[in-house]
Amino acid sequence: MAEEYVVEMKGITKVYPNGIAANQEVDLSVRKGEIHALMGENGAGKSTLMKMLFGLEQPTSGEIWVNGEKVNLTSPTVAISKGIGMVHQHFMLVPSLTVAENMVLGMVPKKSGMFIDSKKAVEITKEYADKFNLHVDPDAKVMDIPVGMKQKVEILKALVRGAKILILDEPTAVLTTQETTELFKELVNLKKQGYTIIFISHKLNEIMQITDRMTILRGGRSMGVYNTQDENPEKISRLMVGRDVVLKVEKDKAQPTDVVLRVRDLEYVNEWGKKMLDHVSLDLRKGEILGIAGVEGNGQKELVDMLFHLNTPNSGTVEVNGENILGITQRKIREKGVSLVPEDRMLYGIADGGTIEENLISDRCGAKHLNHGPLFDMKAIHEESDRLIKDYTVLCKSRAQQVKMLSGGNIQKVVVAREFSNDPKLIIADQPTRGIDVGATEFIRKKLVELSRSGIAVLLVSADLNEVMELSDSLIVMYGGRIAAYFEDTSDLNDEMMGEYMLGLKQQPAEQIGRVCHE
Amino acid sequence: MNKRRSLIFSIVRGLAAILIALAVATLLIYICAEGDTAADKGAQTLSALHQLLVGPAFRSNGALSTKNLCDILAAMIPITFTGLATCVMFSANQFNLGAEGGIMLGAFTSALCAIYLPLPGGILPLVSVLAGAAIVAAMMLIPAVLKTRLGVSEMVCSLMLNYVVMYIIKYLLNSHLADKSKGQIQTYEFQSQSLIPQMVNNGSKLSWGFAIALAFVVLTALFMYRTRWGYAIRMIGINKDFAMYSGIKVGGVIVLSQVLGGMLAGMGGGLEMLGRYNTYSWSALPGYGWTGITVAILAGNNPIFVPLAAFFMAYLDKGCSLMSTYSNVPSQLIDIIQAVIFLFFAAEQFLSHYRQKLVVKSTQEEMKLKEAAASAAEGSAK
Repeated sequence: MAEEYVVEMKGITKVYPNGIAANQEVDLSVRKGEIHALMGENGAGKSTLMKMLFGLEQPTSGEIWVNGEKVNLTSPTVAISKGIGMVHQHFMLVPSLTVAENMVLGMVPKKSGMFIDSKKAVEITKEYADKFNLHVDPDAKVMDIPVGMKQKVEILKALVRGAKILILDEPTAVLTTQETTELFKELVNLKKQGYTIIFISHKLNEIMQITDRMTILRGGRSMGVYNTQDENPEKISRLMVGRDVVLKVEKDKAQPTDVVLRVRDLEYVNEWGKKMLDHVSLDLRKGEILGIAGVEGNGQKELVDMLFHLNTPNSGTVEVNGENILGITQRKIREKGVSLVPEDRMLYGIADGGTIEENLISDRCGAKHLNHGPLFDMKAIHEESDRLIKDYTVLCKSRAQQVKMLSGGNIQKVVVAREFSNDPKLIIADQPTRGIDVGATEFIRKKLVELSRSGIAVLLVSADLNEVMELSDSLIVMYGGRIAAYFEDTSDLNDEMMGEYMLGLKQQPAEQIGRVCHE
Repeated sequence: MNKRRSLIFSIVRGLAAILIALAVATLLIYICAEGDTAADKGAQTLSALHQLLVGPAFRSNGALSTKNLCDILAAMIPITFTGLATCVMFSANQFNLGAEGGIMLGAFTSALCAIYLPLPGGILPLVSVLAGAAIVAAMMLIPAVLKTRLGVSEMVCSLMLNYVVMYIIKYLLNSHLADKSKGQIQTYEFQSQSLIPQMVNNGSKLSWGFAIALAFVVLTALFMYRTRWGYAIRMIGINKDFAMYSGIKVGGVIVLSQVLGGMLAGMGGGLEMLGRYNTYSWSALPGYGWTGITVAILAGNNPIFVPLAAFFMAYLDKGCSLMSTYSNVPSQLIDIIQAVIFLFFAAEQFLSHYRQKLVVKSTQEEMKLKEAAASAAEGSAK
């Protein structure tokens, strides 16, 4: 054999029960000891392909070869026995157990055949941590350690189980710039020791930095294999999206006026006693976009939950145009002109078994213009939904199509169409473009800017640093439930600076942060 | 998957479930059949099956049996109402099983009105049936409010409530309301002006309640698919968090769905009682509520399909009673057949491989069409 492939996937096709063809005739060949990127936009089929390689899903047709042997990966157990390990985007760890306990889960060392040998577990952990230069604290509980370390635990877990081929599913999505740099060092180190790494990502600069070769997927099909050093980012970007994308959003300078949202001294301690919101105060004015940046889990979610009564704070006040919105029903919150694009669109944003139309009218089903006495005015409802589908370019067969049959980007467009079209005064957009394709992302970003310039107050919460820096007029960084920094002007910010505040290395003085309250 | 394929799949799946149930039934009939030789038993099985499947519709001379068909339509009245009631409650994802106690309480309440209220004809049946509906609607407040206020499982609560209702009625009937002059436990006779008139006079008990049942099928379907309240019920059923976030009053709508379900069940009880009997004598749960659950599930919680499902169940019921009359097969067999059909309908994975194949086929076809369209566009561009 001229080239030694450790993994070969040939002609893989996967059709899900809902009819979505996630992969069609995809080929993937990975050489031994390389870092191989699997690239593509969200929804291109990267995760599906890797789930099949890890035995979580079975292909509809196609063959998988590992180390020159044809395999039938019916479960992760089988995949692990073939030397394949996977680090999921959302960590699969037990938060209440220690790092060492998580490491040996399912293969626990025993004392006299019965009792868990925790000393041995710690030893094993230390041994592997040293061997691969992945430093973790074996005795710490997983819920207390930072995200970067959790990821190391995941990688070690795979290595302990004998993995020679590591699949990393968007490993940098949850990391800060500094943590990412560290991870890359570790990966290069693993490569030197002869491990093969398959790296799933849609971030161009990362791929260019550390990978040897790449396979690009688009719309469930392979666009070919390329040597990283021979290609330039523009070409790869074209291959990924099929056109040149400019993700710059044009916007004029904001002209903020009256305060719409006023949050004062919001405090919240969660059910495990952890302080998630610590004296959060801020003002948001008409006509501006206020961004909230931060590594996930630093209180952003809790803040949004409080604003829409999905949770109740221990103390503090929240007012919209001078009226309290804490503790009132979502209907009353909406009546005061508040709209929310929720972080978890499948949980709150849509009823997946309903039609597009049913999902578009949920907040206005009682409105006069859609009802004739007790009955729905079906004509008006059809007109309204057709108009929204057209205005927000939702790609679908008809308004009667089930929402769950749409792609992620189009589902989000349905959510956005509803939330932006009910004459809002305040839009809370929580991760509005997470996990959706470039086209939809661009559309939603443009729309947010357009709405803010028309005099709507926009609160943008996003873990995507580019997005939050690009769109916001002013910006808050949250760390550990507190506001770590406030920037009145976002034009001179850079990733490094933001990273320091996001990681808690720096904290602005109170008076500087206090300027977010426009008293 | 396109609509036509989905429909084909549903039909094939339904027919397969029925065929398997019939196969099981055939086997059981064969076991129950009396006879010395296999041929004897086989002949008996065939005649029993004939009674089961063809008997309800045709007489032995091949003519359409109007009497039997009227019996079947009459039997549809109570189970159409309990089916509708269950549809409404299940649509909101509320597994309220109280239609059984509801239909009994509705029947009992209407019977009392029919005996004691001094009202003229025309008004008395109306008032009696509405009283039954109102009382059962109020009864359903118990599981509904307990659910929304305290998080009590509506399934457990309503299930237990059925027996509470049954024993209260039994107590009242035995100790206070029984007509002591009669040999069996029953109330005094209904006033003659309270009875619901018959549609046909062939002794089938097909009352005008049947027409009212069909009217309520339409009304319920309109309510569920053409009003904001029905919409809210369905959205809560699909995703409660979504409904809450959208500003729908989830607690209120959950109560509403069960109160409406109670109203429908109570109304069914009243119409059944005043359309079929002239005295109240039910001392056990009548079973219509349980059948209503099967009907709702067969109808996929869509009110429009309730009459079809109810007809199917009533037809089977009639077939079984004919079979037990004319052959040695016990009528309890219907419960087994029902259970098997039910099992296969409720089994989500039943024929899922076949479904997956259909899905793959449609998706591939769609892809081909898209590609053809794309290349055609390219061609014309050149």
